[in-house]
Amino acid sequence: MSARDEGTRTAGAEAVPVLSAEGLTVRFGERTALTDVSIEIPRGYTVSIIGPAGSGKTTLLRSFNRMNEVIPGSSQAGTIRFAGRNLHSAAMDPAEVRRRIGMVFEDAALFPGSVFDNLAFGLRARGEEGDLHGIAEAALQAAGLWSEGAEILETRAGDLSAEERRRMCIARTLALKPDVLLVDEPTSTLDPAAASRVESLIHALRDDYTIVFATCDHTQAGRLSDLTAYLDSGRLLEYGPTQTLFTNPRNPRTEFYLTGRLQ
Amino acid sequence: MTAFRSSTGAHPRSDPRERLMGGLLLGCTALAVASAAAVIGALGLETVRFFADVPLSRFLADLAWTPSAEEPGFGILPLLAGTAQIAWGATVMALPVALVLAVFLEFYAGKRTASVMNAAVAALSSVPAVVYGYFALNFVTPALKGVWPGLEAFNGISACLVVGLMILPTIVVLSREALGAVPRSVLRQAVALGATRERAVLRLALPAAWLGVLGSVVLAMTRAVGETMIVTLAAGNPTGVSWNPLEGVRTLTSFLAQASMGDLAPGSIEYGACFAVAAVLLLLTFGMHALGRALVSRGQADAPGGSRS
Repeated sequence: MSARDEGTRTAGAEAVPVLSAEGLTVRFGERTALTDVSIEIPRGYTVSIIGPAGSGKTTLLRSFNRMNEVIPGSSQAGTIRFAGRNLHSAAMDPAEVRRRIGMVFEDAALFPGSVFDNLAFGLRARGEEGDLHGIAEAALQAAGLWSEGAEILETRAGDLSAEERRRMCIARTLALKPDVLLVDEPTSTLDPAAASRVESLIHALRDDYTIVFATCDHTQAGRLSDLTAYLDSGRLLEYGPTQTLFTNPRNPRTEFYLTGRLQ
Repeated sequence: MTAFRSSTGAHPRSDPRERLMGGLLLGCTALAVASAAAVIGALGLETVRFFADVPLSRFLADLAWTPSAEEPGFGILPLLAGTAQIAWGATVMALPVALVLAVFLEFYAGKRTASVMNAAVAALSSVPAVVYGYFALNFVTPALKGVWPGLEAFNGISACLVVGLMILPTIVVLSREALGAVPRSVLRQAVALGATRERAVLRLALPAAWLGVLGSVVLAMTRAVGETMIVTLAAGNPTGVSWNPLEGVRTLTSFLAQASMGDLAPGSIEYGACFAVAAVLLLLTFGMHALGRALVSRGQADAPGGSRS
């Protein structure tokens, strides 16, 4: 993992970051969820977003694939760039943005029908006419759901366990071959054993994807991420190499949060 | 005292007010059960008497329903055919509009639009049936005559249109409930996979809600089957069977309404015939209502989940 070795480089110094936000402010009606957030996500890195509940972690994730705008009453100021291009320019098709910047949600929402139906949904929406079964198989393998073989394809999604549902949702996103993976609370609502297995899966995916994930569990951020962003009441208070942020936080509130003393 | 037995002991049963309340509740329940039993009992008794005079085979196989004629026909089929025409016709007219309305209100309408349209739908369901009946006879039929000059004064199509209008709110409200039970996260995650909102609604929400939608249609048809005033006023009461919607239609209900206005000697065959028809109507609506309810609640139980933790 020398490319990600934090000692030899400063984040995003040499190349155009795959994602960046500049002066990002997001409001839902009267409520301001994010205030003037600027952040760069370098390609190939795994970035965690930590912070107290309601600090805007999910909102920040969702602004990276234009999912805030589907919420009635949302408004946004500032610029988000994807590989240097303005995410909100007229030439950007929001559907295409969401395929290239895939998102795995905190809750595993199931579509009606089988696991295959779930995986094929996004592919069909894209107009994919190729080998849907082949793509689904590859995605399920990547998400660790192929151990039982092809019969998983015909299993009703509702019959899956919580862990399998989470894996299926990850596979659903991987099937579209995204450039970036946004993951909201990768292991919430899972029992500890399942959580640790899903965490291993995310760890394995780090080699192939730029990953941005939000988590309430900062020890998980420590285990999985190269860079960590600390959000507090919608403001980005600190962002840097995970090691540094954890061992030597610059902002006292970061330290309070990490040590459980935040009021 | 079976009602409201307290398990915590916070309200001891010996409290006289508790006992009075319990007694009242039990009394009300008994009254309701007794009334239902009386209706079914009276209906059943007369129906049994009727079938002592007229064999069931004639009831099922005669091709005319003319109990007061010289050579009476006692076939229920013509009345069932008329009822089916009205119920199907009304549903076919109402369903497309109602479904579009339900989808629009649930997924597309802004708050203000939705509240205005909800009020309009609620207003439709509060119109008395007799007003609908006059509307059909004095407004819809003349208007349709402009399109089909051959339209009879009493006809099936006008009745179907207006019964359709009457059952529209049932389909809209219940289908909307079924669509609303589809978790929003399902639609959101579909959009996040690059689907348009239209695709998410048509390919995910509608299929997920289809049992509830089907239930709403069955319940609406139950209302159409039981509907009396509109059909009596607008569709006439012909004795023959016609499948032509431009001609009159006689249903189970419109026959009963008509018969009840004449003088029928208790104990006569015509008198018994009315009860037999009423029994068929009751069985039909009771069965359809039960089916519709079952579909709606089954749909709720089957609603696909986001993980509900």
